[in-house]
Amino acid sequence: MDEEQTGGYSDICGQCGEVNWGVSDEGRFYCRSCHNVIERTKEVVDTNTFMVGTSRVSSISKGTRRKKLEQGREWMVCEGFQFILKHQAEALLAMGVCPQFKDDVLCQFWRMYLQKSRQAYTKNPVHDGKFRLRSQGSGESDSAPESSVMSDSMMSASETDGDGDWASGGGSVSGHTSDGASSVCSGSIDAVSYLTPRQRRSQGLMSMPKTLALCHLALLWAREAITLADLLRFVNEGHIPYVNAYEDFPEEMKLYGRDSLIFRVESIPSYSHLHKEAQALAVFLELPLFPPITLDCLLHPSLLTLRYLTEANLPDELHDWVCRIMEKAGMESSVTFEPMRSRSPLPHYDVQAAALIIIAMKLLFKLDDHTEWDLSNDASDKNKENPDGNSFNLRWWYRTMQTALTTAARRQQDNIARKHWKPQKPLYTSKKDKSVVLKRRRIAEQLQLSFQKLSSSPVAPPSTPPSSFCFRWGEEGEEVWDGPSLHHLTLDSSVRQRGASLQPANPEYWHPALRACKPRFCKSHYAEVEVTLPRMYVWLLDLFSFLLGVKPGCVYEEVLKVERRFLGSSKSQPRARATPRKTQPKKLHKRKQTSKTCSR
Amino acid sequence: MVFGANSHFLLNNLHQIYANENRSNLKRWVMDDLESELRVPGEERGENESSDDDESINIKRIKKPNLPLAPPLFKETPRETGFHKTTRNCLQHIREVLLHHRWQDAAEYMASYSQTLEDTTANMPQLYAEIIWRIGTEILHHHPNSTLEDYNSFYERVKHSGVKHYLKVCLEHSFHLLVNGQFEDAKLQLSIAESWRYGKQSAGQSQRIRLIQAYSGFLDYFIWCDKKATASSTDEYDAAVNQEMHSYFRQSSVNLKEIMKLPGVWDPFVLSYIDMLEFYNDHEGAVKVLNDYAYDDSFPPNPNAHVYLYRYMKKQNHPLKKLLKVLKILHTLVPSHELMPEYCSLLVQSENEGDLQKALGVVLDLLDYSSWRSNLDVWNHLMNIIKRLRMKKQWLKIFAEEMGYRKDWWLAIHFSTFQARKDSAENRELLEVKSFVVGAFCPHYASMYSGVGKAARKGVTSEARKAKRNPKPLKNIRRLRREKGQQSQD
Repeated sequence: MDEEQTGGYSDICGQCGEVNWGVSDEGRFYCRSCHNVIERTKEVVDTNTFMVGTSRVSSISKGTRRKKLEQGREWMVCEGFQFILKHQAEALLAMGVCPQFKDDVLCQFWRMYLQKSRQAYTKNPVHDGKFRLRSQGSGESDSAPESSVMSDSMMSASETDGDGDWASGGGSVSGHTSDGASSVCSGSIDAVSYLTPRQRRSQGLMSMPKTLALCHLALLWAREAITLADLLRFVNEGHIPYVNAYEDFPEEMKLYGRDSLIFRVESIPSYSHLHKEAQALAVFLELPLFPPITLDCLLHPSLLTLRYLTEANLPDELHDWVCRIMEKAGMESSVTFEPMRSRSPLPHYDVQAAALIIIAMKLLFKLDDHTEWDLSNDASDKNKENPDGNSFNLRWWYRTMQTALTTAARRQQDNIARKHWKPQKPLYTSKKDKSVVLKRRRIAEQLQLSFQKLSSSPVAPPSTPPSSFCFRWGEEGEEVWDGPSLHHLTLDSSVRQRGASLQPANPEYWHPALRACKPRFCKSHYAEVEVTLPRMYVWLLDLFSFLLGVKPGCVYEEVLKVERRFLGSSKSQPRARATPRKTQPKKLHKRKQTSKTCSR
Repeated sequence: MVFGANSHFLLNNLHQIYANENRSNLKRWVMDDLESELRVPGEERGENESSDDDESINIKRIKKPNLPLAPPLFKETPRETGFHKTTRNCLQHIREVLLHHRWQDAAEYMASYSQTLEDTTANMPQLYAEIIWRIGTEILHHHPNSTLEDYNSFYERVKHSGVKHYLKVCLEHSFHLLVNGQFEDAKLQLSIAESWRYGKQSAGQSQRIRLIQAYSGFLDYFIWCDKKATASSTDEYDAAVNQEMHSYFRQSSVNLKEIMKLPGVWDPFVLSYIDMLEFYNDHEGAVKVLNDYAYDDSFPPNPNAHVYLYRYMKKQNHPLKKLLKVLKILHTLVPSHELMPEYCSLLVQSENEGDLQKALGVVLDLLDYSSWRSNLDVWNHLMNIIKRLRMKKQWLKIFAEEMGYRKDWWLAIHFSTFQARKDSAENRELLEVKSFVVGAFCPHYASMYSGVGKAARKGVTSEARKAKRNPKPLKNIRRLRREKGQQSQD
């Protein structure tokens, strides 16, 4: 192995710029790519003399010296995650999250996690070799007294002392012996235990997606206005460190070998994956009831729908209808999360808000590929008759939206194609790979530079400041402009005054069969029913799925869920009428149709 | 550096080979996704749809477009990582901008595509390296601002991105340098490649090394040519220059001899080697090399080998018999070769009895090819041969032998009224010669052919008229037809 012989000599060859040293038979260094011999010879270690009896001694002494040089200080995997969480929290703070978020919420969650997973704040740490076997069996009985400790620390915010606490974490607390770990190739001490099949199955250990899940829970707890979709978008845009987050580790924390399997990130988790992860984590941490989402919190459906109405360039008047639906569905009060109650899943606040808007659109415009266009014709007639009139015209909105959506989708595709994933400091899984990985990194970098020179613009997608909105609607002439704003338009052509209250001009409402499915066995039915749904409805689902970065099926399921509550509640009212439609379009024949007259 | 006309020609050839190879390989990457584009979007709905029979048949038919396309290299998979999605999308974008000739954008995407080299899960890292190599060269070729330095640095990087392509890239790099007149650098590249070793030598590797050595010998030959030119221009005998020339000759000949041992088409190498041998008056050696090159059965059949041999022997005034032997083989390989009229006249010159008949065969073969069909020289040859043959007794037999399998279509193809009109418009002389020939073969046809234009009829020579009176050839043809008719009845 030349790597051994050259002793890690890694200067660049003066002739060809490569780092590919070999040692000739005479012990001279030469470059293996250009055969340039340099003024350096191998340090002669006469191994033969040691081979007889004392080889063990020599190898040990050599080993430790080298370890110290290469390994930096000893550290544990959870420390690494702690650094990443800290950076993520700081990025969130920089975005304007309230200052208590980091120390009072996320830090507390992290400590609870460390305790629950018995990595710190515990008498029998998980990594201590002696305890590992026994504690696997005895399991949960140990955790009972600890949880009281945790709830204490949750209440007393004075215990936390800021940054200093972050830097030294679980590592110092949990006692361990490094004998077993030092023989395995990894920078951290306990990377091996993270990778055993049993530990993986137990799901308790930290992983990169879980850092985001923890952030999400903490944001929810702090009632911050960042939804899960926002969080993922910020991660995607690079405002929150996630891909190659380990690069910010301090110099003395060396990362290699098995660590790379834990910290290497090659994709950003999907919305549904992260949602599941967050829910599981909340249960694992045995978190109590989350603070209620009230009307003064931006996560409340009423405010969140307003935000998405703005985003989707829909008229503000629509918000009244959304609020009415919300009221009917009884969603104003029961919007919080209690992990320990099995019937209270972690709500998708963002998708729920989108579902409310979609239902409001369906209520007003029916969205069956006919009625909405008839209504748009009416609106345009009205606008023609009265030049000052500003009726909302769905066709016009569709066109504006469609143009903006196409551009945005193209931009997104382009950003995906140009996203840079690979780190400046590459990770390698074994020492053998080191030279290969470093060489590849160097070549890729040089190739990138030479092509960058030929291209007209910089390679990285232009970074924009973090924003809650994807689209900009407004008057022409602004810097970033996706189309004219339609927020001020009125819905007067699609609503009728009936008695004292306003009612939609469209008297009917349709929905797919509200069959109950078994959540464990049924996956999304969207793929099956998609072809039978009206195109306009599918387009609307696609629009919101693009805005939120989720699958269309996910929005569809959420719409069904809200419809179930909404229609269930309105059917029980005496004035609501459920009659089958007389004439049904052919392609809808499979679906159970319920049409009802809105009576408000 | 000044080369002779010969070497310039060879360099041009090199350039073409180099460009073509790159093009054809690139096509593989760029055209890959054609199939996916041909697919109809509705098809993805797939089997879930319980549609009526007609529709499902339609879908099936659409599903497999009957095109011989390779399966797409990179497909979207459900468990694809974000990194792979990025690289897949990036390649897709590169492909699009390449097809639209947007080289600047292509360079931009290439910059981000280079990260595929770092793919840790790649099961085919060599493939990524090759894709980058091929597409990168193509972009550099077309990019308005690419410089030779860009090429050099690009080739250097690509060389070290994958072991398997090292030698090929080196060769391509030196070709590129040659095309741009960087002779010394090209030489340097080849010598670097020559001294490169990695692991165990695979079969392909050792062959490529041979090729690289041959090219290096070839470049030595260029230097030799250069020295020769300077030596001859000064007119003074300079021992030092001579010495130098000789050493280049030795270097070059070692490498060139080596490659000629392997079966293959080595035309430029052979020519350069022969040129040097000729200069040093080693004629036997040269003839031996050419003979080996032409007559070794393990080599692929190569008409040029015989052409070179013939030209050299002719230059050295070898006897007619030997020349004829070479041309005879060339005739069997390429009956329409441009040396065939020459072969024909040599056959006519020779005293041998059967040679005149051979000449007739060669000329008739030539006329079967459309490129020779209105060539006056060939028709003149035919006329002369007929004139001489008619004096012999076996004329009819010879005629029947040579015309045997042509009799059905030969007259129709050369002596149609359309052809006559064309000939009379383009080349009156040709019309006359052809009239004579058809008169000799078939006087009945002659009136049809030469009677097209009045002007044409006037030009018919007296000999042709004489031939018209002679009914024998016509009888011959009729007899042949009759025989054939009987055969088919049997």
